Amino acid sequence: MRWRYPVFICLITAFGLVPAAGKAEGVSVRDAWIRQAPPGATVMAGYLELRNSTSRPQVLEAASSTGFASVMMHRTVVRDGMAGMEHLSRTELAPNASLIFAPGGSHLMLMNPKQALRAGDTVVVELEFRGGLVLPVTFAVRK
Amino acid sequence: MNKISRDFSIMVTTVALAAVLAGAWLADIDRESDSRARLLPDQMMTLFSDPKPLKAFALTDDRNRVFDLENLKGKWSFLFFGFTHCPDVCPTTLAVLARAREHIAKNTVGAGNLQFVFVSVDPNRDTAAKLRQYVNYFDASFVGVTGDDAQIGNLAGQLGATYEVAIAPGAENYPVYHSTAVFLVDPRARYHAVFTPPLDAEVISRRFKVVRELEGDNPT
Repeated sequence: MRWRYPVFICLITAFGLVPAAGKAEGVSVRDAWIRQAPPGATVMAGYLELRNSTSRPQVLEAASSTGFASVMMHRTVVRDGMAGMEHLSRTELAPNASLIFAPGGSHLMLMNPKQALRAGDTVVVELEFRGGLVLPVTFAVRK
Repeated sequence: MNKISRDFSIMVTTVALAAVLAGAWLADIDRESDSRARLLPDQMMTLFSDPKPLKAFALTDDRNRVFDLENLKGKWSFLFFGFTHCPDVCPTTLAVLARAREHIAKNTVGAGNLQFVFVSVDPNRDTAAKLRQYVNYFDASFVGVTGDDAQIGNLAGQLGATYEVAIAPGAENYPVYHSTAVFLVDPRARYHAVFTPPLDAEVISRRFKVVRELEGDNPT
């Protein structure tokens, strides 16, 4: 398997994450971005780095946004050199660790944007964690 | 993340690549009897010591013109199989290829005879007009092509590309699976090399430069 994109990368070393978009109950986010959709594309992908600085696991169970018809967690999987997508019903953040949603790995699948999003725009996506925590995250659209 | 170590490994493998190319490979190397593929040390590019001539195929380009074997002759072609409704792998790969093209244009002499071809495996949704709009977004020089399943399967089969379109009747969205590799076809329309992820624009550019130099300016 030559695929080495970070699917789930847990960084054990605790380097200070800047809570760029939001911080609640010890979960912080940085570098949240959405790839600007090519013309005609109705599906976009959102990427971010999540950090759980609590001593217990945090489970991301859903995501939603008023900017899109629907938001799902997906993971690109490559088997025998062929890529496909797998739906993730939940994603667990280990205690005191980071989780990266990155191109070629996990991503938020953002369906049917309600208005055209261009580089420089921002859009808020709410991340819903087990236990009722809702973390609003501001994603920057980039080309 | 691990950018420094990756950059370092790119540097090391580039040196290793140069050594391989300068020495053993140019000499009469041992060819694997069971395979014509040689995996270079970085595992990102597989260069064939005995490139396979492609056979006739027929597709349609994003201006509704025939795109066939003749279109691959006289220039180097990078081919990638995907579909426009692909949110992650395809835009990521095409963005890398657009940067690779820029890099090659700046750093490789005679890079004019170069083309990048996006082969859509989803002709059901990817019309010529949609394809054109899509590939142009990444680079105005990119070409989008597609065809029916047999036509796509012909070229895909020759390159070892795989794909699967799970069309569900009536469904607007359906899963499409496709190869993540980028295929390099030489100006004699021979399958010359393949790049596999993780893809990096500069690495592709540097590898291509070496391949081109080995082949000379006018491989005939």
